[in-house]
Amino acid sequence: MANYIRYGDIERAMGGGQRQISLDSLSPTLERDAEGNVLPVRYEKIRLSASDSLKILKPYFSVRLMDQVRAVVPLAAYLALFQILFLQHLVEDSWLITGGLFAVIVGLMFFMEGLALGLMPFGTVIGSTLPRKSPLPLVLLITLLLGIGVTFAEPAIGALKAAGQNVVVEQAPYLYALLNNYADQLVLVIGFSVGAAAVMGTLRFIYGWSLKPLIYFTLIPALGLSIYCASNPEMSKVLGLAWDAGAVTTGPVTVPLVLSLGIGIATAAGKGSNQLSGFGIVTLASLFPILGVMCLLVYVTLTITPGEIIAAAQGLSTATSVTPAWYETSPGVEVVLGIRAILPLVVFLFFVLKIVLHESLKNKSEIFLGIALTIIGMCIFNLGLTYGLSKLGGSAGGLVPIAFMQIDGIENSPIYMYSVGLILALAFAWFLGFGATIAEPALNALGITAETMTNGVFKKKTLIYAVSTGVAFGIAIGLAKLIFNLPLIWLIIPGYLFAAILTYLSSEEFVNVAWDSAGVTTGPITVPLVLAMGLGFGNATGAVEGFGILSMASIGPIITVMLTGLWTRYKANAQLKAETHKTTQLEQEVGAAL
Amino acid sequence: MKRENVTYVTDASLVNCVVPAGRADAVLKAARDLGVGASIVYHGRGTGTRERLGLLGIAVEAEKEIVVMIVPNERRDMLINELFQAAEINTPAAGYIYVTPVDKAAVYIPEEVLKQLKDS
Repeated sequence: MANYIRYGDIERAMGGGQRQISLDSLSPTLERDAEGNVLPVRYEKIRLSASDSLKILKPYFSVRLMDQVRAVVPLAAYLALFQILFLQHLVEDSWLITGGLFAVIVGLMFFMEGLALGLMPFGTVIGSTLPRKSPLPLVLLITLLLGIGVTFAEPAIGALKAAGQNVVVEQAPYLYALLNNYADQLVLVIGFSVGAAAVMGTLRFIYGWSLKPLIYFTLIPALGLSIYCASNPEMSKVLGLAWDAGAVTTGPVTVPLVLSLGIGIATAAGKGSNQLSGFGIVTLASLFPILGVMCLLVYVTLTITPGEIIAAAQGLSTATSVTPAWYETSPGVEVVLGIRAILPLVVFLFFVLKIVLHESLKNKSEIFLGIALTIIGMCIFNLGLTYGLSKLGGSAGGLVPIAFMQIDGIENSPIYMYSVGLILALAFAWFLGFGATIAEPALNALGITAETMTNGVFKKKTLIYAVSTGVAFGIAIGLAKLIFNLPLIWLIIPGYLFAAILTYLSSEEFVNVAWDSAGVTTGPITVPLVLAMGLGFGNATGAVEGFGILSMASIGPIITVMLTGLWTRYKANAQLKAETHKTTQLEQEVGAAL
Repeated sequence: MKRENVTYVTDASLVNCVVPAGRADAVLKAARDLGVGASIVYHGRGTGTRERLGLLGIAVEAEKEIVVMIVPNERRDMLINELFQAAEINTPAAGYIYVTPVDKAAVYIPEEVLKQLKDS
């Protein structure tokens, strides 16, 4: 017989051993009232020692920190390595940029967690109760206002303002005016457009409209206004900003909050079960701001002349020689911006919840902590935007042209022959777009939706590659636009006309997925980086303005996804035809044999 | 159709390991390293400690993973010890392990293994 020793005996013998305690000794004692009934146990708050709190907090932070590290570090490393290896230039102010990127990571971590804890509960409660309790017009009005609120709270919006500081007023007075004097109106117009898009998208859910006519009816005035603006040399310089504005709006705040309200309304109207529910708002929210910004531009051109803007800006630059207040200089202004971005949205959500719905929220302290985290995160992110992303993107954009052209102040430029350097620069842009997109978590989610919607015909991987390739070509084309100083209108008109034709040919599902995919790819890291890169690049090559890359990155995936969709359909049809052909042949043979 | 005779497996325990979502993989690896052939992971939602921790509660994952496995009695305590370390159970709100005896179980056992056991 084998010689068994119980493991427990070893443990006990070694002294580390097991101890046993009865569960009863850990449970609270039950108290009874006079009649002998058991009173409900009242729990006290658990107080933890510092080391236990640390044990809980460590995995909590490390998971969330790693999420953002994964999003930021590869992109930043790519930009830095490209500069060092191919351009033989060390990154300037590398410590400042590293600190800035760290701020971006920490800021986004707090922001996203705060969003999930503090703002999303509002979204869920309002989305599920508001449509049931209030009449439709009021619901739509609140949707409109919510669109404005979320746009202000979008982290990438700060990048537009940062971009405004680099515009030379004499070269593009209207662009300068929109980004500086009219900066608040600009964000307001973009927000209003997002709100209008949310309203249209919601109406679409309720009445089951097709997305196609909405796209056509938005594209016609947008392209028409673009042609009108392009005919005026001063106004044409703002076109890039207008078409880029769409990409900036659809970020981590707008999409979930507006969607939860829209889907809530559709569900309350009994139309929530449609599998296309939730699509289309993102598309409209990235198209309407284009129109909005151009309308604002037309208004500005009617009220003020370029000469007046230049004079005012020059007057301002001499006047600001006095020391600015703390809230106008760097660390202060980011904090003020952060608070100004979040608080109006929070106040508005509270107002809707309390006054309109008379609802209250559970876990109040958690929500307050969430809101505080959102604001803190936004402030830190804004700091990181200024010192990290914008600077890194700007310096990368400013250095890339030395691959193929002579830049003043940089020795031994151009580094390569013109053609080699040009290809290198375009390849740099292509891989930047591809790499930044393929890792986007929102795209993964869209891919899963697309796969279930098409019953697996359109694979998740196919969508991710189609979108990434589209963004990659978009950014490369956008860069080429800056290099050769092409007017944006030459790219916009054929691009969107082609997209419109593809829209006409594609099925409704693919139209929804394709147009939405343009919006999900432009997150809070890509947008500032690409904007700053474009502006730095534009400055270095002497282009008037560096906008337009993002708009190309939006139209790229729309076209590639619809092309891929048409190709899959063609292949599926061909396969089906071949199979039916084979079976009829087989039947004939069998028939002959019999 | 030929009906198979059931061979019962005895001297077994059922180990249930409740851990915060995302930590099941560590538990599964520890179990595999000690020769546990198969495990099942369920998803669930836990309550209790999270609600009583106040604001610190946000750091506690409410979603739980429950790893279930049948283990030989001889190896039971050693396994619990390993799982306890792997799942970092010794943290507030990090889950718990419990073990129940198994009367008998049935599973596919390869023919040659059966034969070998009968011969010895």
